[in-house]
Amino acid sequence: MNVNLTINKKQHTLNLKGNETLLEVLRDHLSLTGTKTACQETECGTCTVMIKGKAVLSCITLAANIQGEEITTIEGLAQGDVLHPVQQAFIDYGSVQCGFCIPGMIMSSVALLEKNPKPTQEEIEYALDGNICRCAGYPKIFEAIHEAGKNIVSKGSIASKS
Amino acid sequence: MLLNPLTLHLPKTPLEAARLYKELEDSKVLAGGTFLLNSMKLLKTKGTKTARNILSLAHVDGLKGVSFQGDTLTIKAMTRINELFESPLPDGHLKILHAVCRNISTNPIRNMATVGGNLTCRYTWTEMGAVMIALDAKMHFLGPDGKEEIMAPEDFFKNAARSEKLFTHVTIKTGQAARTAYRRVKKTIHVDIPLLAICVKTEIKGKKWYNTRVGINNGVAFAQRDPILEEFLNNSSSSANLGEEALEHLTKTIYDTRSTDYKQHMFRISLKSAIEELCHSRESGNP
Repeated sequence: MNVNLTINKKQHTLNLKGNETLLEVLRDHLSLTGTKTACQETECGTCTVMIKGKAVLSCITLAANIQGEEITTIEGLAQGDVLHPVQQAFIDYGSVQCGFCIPGMIMSSVALLEKNPKPTQEEIEYALDGNICRCAGYPKIFEAIHEAGKNIVSKGSIASKS
Repeated sequence: MLLNPLTLHLPKTPLEAARLYKELEDSKVLAGGTFLLNSMKLLKTKGTKTARNILSLAHVDGLKGVSFQGDTLTIKAMTRINELFESPLPDGHLKILHAVCRNISTNPIRNMATVGGNLTCRYTWTEMGAVMIALDAKMHFLGPDGKEEIMAPEDFFKNAARSEKLFTHVTIKTGQAARTAYRRVKKTIHVDIPLLAICVKTEIKGKKWYNTRVGINNGVAFAQRDPILEEFLNNSSSSANLGEEALEHLTKTIYDTRSTDYKQHMFRISLKSAIEELCHSRESGNP
């Protein structure tokens, strides 16, 4: 069936089978491999993308079931050479160890900060409770999110929305 | 492919969905997908056949949202767990729904999973059943002929959570002078396998307990009421010992089912603390 999806503000019409997940479509049809494949059973969060501003798991999203939705992946955050404040903060705070969980972590963080740029520690942990870091690098990740929130507030906008 | 080949059906109206629900063979209903698609993937890895027809409710009009009409709260089947969590609820016993939502799985799952899916996925671990029983909710179903059927959740679960009609929404009376306490125990803090869920709702006049309903999910059977405990509590008054005394008046088959010592221990202290919380809320003048 033909499915229209808006991914990173670009419209795609794709001929998909009913059983294709969004994760498979992103990686195999569109080569958007920033969204990672790991557990594929909703436990790890590496496949997190945003649909209508909410963090969701692409491994259990049927692509044909989200016809017409706006999807943002990790590739859609930067504006040209300018990284999203969350991406920049993750670099500045050394939040990346092996890096495999980071795209999912960043997508969950962006979804949080778009709603609430001044989250408490508890709110950050609640928003990121579906993203697992096997390197256990959580403290630096949390620091980066606090800092990104401050930068977003001080700049008065979020790059992904501009 | 992570999933076996399937045909995705995308009805637009509740009636069209109800008809397809009745007509389609070898089918499953797709609400949020967090349980269904995961289990279908798992079955595929084991070489097990999975449903050929998937009936998605994602594009059905009128199946989403939380609203109030008079003294009735309506939660539509396709309302996401986080949408319910973020919905304003009146002060009082219905606030317990926020606590329930907060305890469900992880954030992306709460963004995807639905109230309807949680209640009807025929998975004994789910959280909402015990709460809906305690809150004396009514489950609404739509038949292929357009006729509505209303059922108490305990009756739905007694029937192993099966219905030939499509679940559309749940309603709960808001105006009751009731108090609620909720407890849920996970296997570990990091492993979201619920061992049990307990919800107690009661009305307390003076210190006397009335209209108490206890919803229990022991993780093995579907959610159910505890009639012996309800009767005991309805003949009791708030006291420092009520939680402890209540443990001697349980419908034992609910709590003993394939339970480990740890689980039974958690059951007892959770139930005791829920009852103590309700005693305390009255005595301290809390709403």
